[in-house]
Amino acid sequence: MSRRVKSLQLRLTLELAALFFVASCLAVGGLIYSASRTGGSLIDRELGLRAEDLARYVSRDATGKPRLELPPDLKQAYDASAQRSVFAIRDKDGRLVEASTPEVATLAVRWPQADSEPRFFGLTGLGPSGQDYAGVSVLLDSAAGPLSVMVAEVSGGNQLVHTMLREFVFDVAWYVPLFVAAVVLLAIDSVRRSVRPLRAASAEARNIGPGSISIRLPEADVPTEALPLVLAVNHALDRLEQGFAIQRQFTANAAHELRTPLTIITARLDSLEGNGQLSALRQEVGRMNRLVEQLLCVARLDSVALDVSTPVDLLQIAEEVVGSMAHLALASGRSIALTGAEHPVRITGNADAIADALRNLIENALAHTRPGTEVIVEVGSEGALSVSDSGPGIPLADRPRIFDRFWRGKGARSEGAGLGLAIVMEIVRAHGASIAVGDHTPCGARFDLRFRAA
Amino acid sequence: MRLLIIEDEDRLSGILKSRLGEAGFAVDVAGSAGDANAALEIINYDAVVLDLGLPDHDGLTVLTATRRIGRNLPILILTARDAVEDRVAGLNAGADDYLTKPFAMSELIARIKALLRRPGGVLGITLEAGNLSLDTIGRELSVAGKPVRLSRQELAILEQMMRRFGRIVPKAVLEEKLYGIDEEPDSNTIPVHVHHLRRQLQAASASLAIHTIRGVGYILAENQE
Repeated sequence: MSRRVKSLQLRLTLELAALFFVASCLAVGGLIYSASRTGGSLIDRELGLRAEDLARYVSRDATGKPRLELPPDLKQAYDASAQRSVFAIRDKDGRLVEASTPEVATLAVRWPQADSEPRFFGLTGLGPSGQDYAGVSVLLDSAAGPLSVMVAEVSGGNQLVHTMLREFVFDVAWYVPLFVAAVVLLAIDSVRRSVRPLRAASAEARNIGPGSISIRLPEADVPTEALPLVLAVNHALDRLEQGFAIQRQFTANAAHELRTPLTIITARLDSLEGNGQLSALRQEVGRMNRLVEQLLCVARLDSVALDVSTPVDLLQIAEEVVGSMAHLALASGRSIALTGAEHPVRITGNADAIADALRNLIENALAHTRPGTEVIVEVGSEGALSVSDSGPGIPLADRPRIFDRFWRGKGARSEGAGLGLAIVMEIVRAHGASIAVGDHTPCGARFDLRFRAA
Repeated sequence: MRLLIIEDEDRLSGILKSRLGEAGFAVDVAGSAGDANAALEIINYDAVVLDLGLPDHDGLTVLTATRRIGRNLPILILTARDAVEDRVAGLNAGADDYLTKPFAMSELIARIKALLRRPGGVLGITLEAGNLSLDTIGRELSVAGKPVRLSRQELAILEQMMRRFGRIVPKAVLEEKLYGIDEEPDSNTIPVHVHHLRRQLQAASASLAIHTIRGVGYILAENQE
């Protein structure tokens, strides 16, 4: 069988149904066979008895020739059923003593003599209606010496067997399909009930992802046969989670190892007095600091399961981020403002990650606008967060790609690595939030984030 | 002003020592939690800069040990771990502030000074920022050495801003500091005071200006004009 049925339930059901069907057929067939055999031997016995009966009523007449003298009731019976029961009697020399019909008589004289062992035979196309007969011929002793007696009965006429079979089929055999159907239904129900825990386990498995690695498949109620699979999957998840933990640890270590030398370089450069080249060098180190920070942020988002289930206040996060970036904005000759909601905006998420996203959006806005302009952060009461600037805006053609890692707009100043918006996107995704890029009136870009309200 | 720097990275502690020295601090360096605890027992430091990654113990143990014996000196944590839990653990253990590596030396100095400017801190009596000098006891301001007359409210606002120099002061904090619980401030009073204060600073050619961060509060920063 090249195409295997994959469904356990379907396979069990089909196989059970097939098995029951075959078993029932065999049982019914066996019953019919033995019934018809019993019926057949009953008929044979009947024919033999009738032959003996006939022989008993043969006697010698005055001339010494054998002669059949049936009692009136028997004679009446044979006459009435002349078409159904036929007989022929011959003496030991082959001469016909008596026959039920002339047709039988002409047939009988051509037959060889019977012997004492009864011989069963069939006759075809006899009589006016051309019926089939089954009969016996046997050599029997009688008052007139040995006689060869042949008795036959219309074979379709073995009413007994037919009646038996009909009764059997109508009284008993119709249970079989019902029984098969009941068993199949029972099997379907039983299999369905036993695979229900497996369905529950697979529903749970659908929720497992890099962000929710601590979920395990439920082991309770799982059928014993499937338990090893579920346990193996759970152990595999344990190992994966360990792997994630190791990677997280690696990221933390890498952060530590990279940050300390960078701090030293920054501090040494700060303490040096020098010409324009030194400030160019400071700028480069600043850029490198930022790049390392962003790379670590990306690595962390990739490797660590972000817990986005804490209730947080979006307004408070925005206040903190805007507050902490105000100095940077002022130092670059720009300003920053927070508008919108005046009361806490409760959402579920990760405060640190949302702050990261907002910080990146603000940095992005500050980097793409002229001094003297204002970056506006707006918090909406329904979990909306937007950052608008008054820069050149983002061309429509670029909008699908700005969230790609390392993508940078044409003519962009070389400061950014093209990671900021990718980080924003990762965080938005982890929160199941949405982000849209649009225009800020009268000019500039506007990023709209929408978080799910708590 | 004497600082203790607890940092196991020799190169970093060397630079910290020299840069903080230039900024006018007397600096001692401890390379391990053991040394740090010993130094803290003997000397009455004004502030501590603590790195969390130490060879013998976690830096947090120094923090908890210091707080347990009732020492209330300002402690600033330096850490390469920037996970929230680490920062929260540090602040809960009694740290006053934290900086994540890499940091700008100027920010570290500004933050140490801000800690020392807190009421009760070493710098709490005379606040200095840019060319401003505010005597918090005498309630007098001088800009570039020349005295400037301010109202009681203006002085209170400026004190708050100088204590948090370079960082934002939410409007709500100013309202809290200026008015008692019973007084219901008019939503317009603070902006009016700030407006006057800003004009007087400008008139006195101060090197710093008060900037409004709409929706958040005010910040005292370099004058951009």
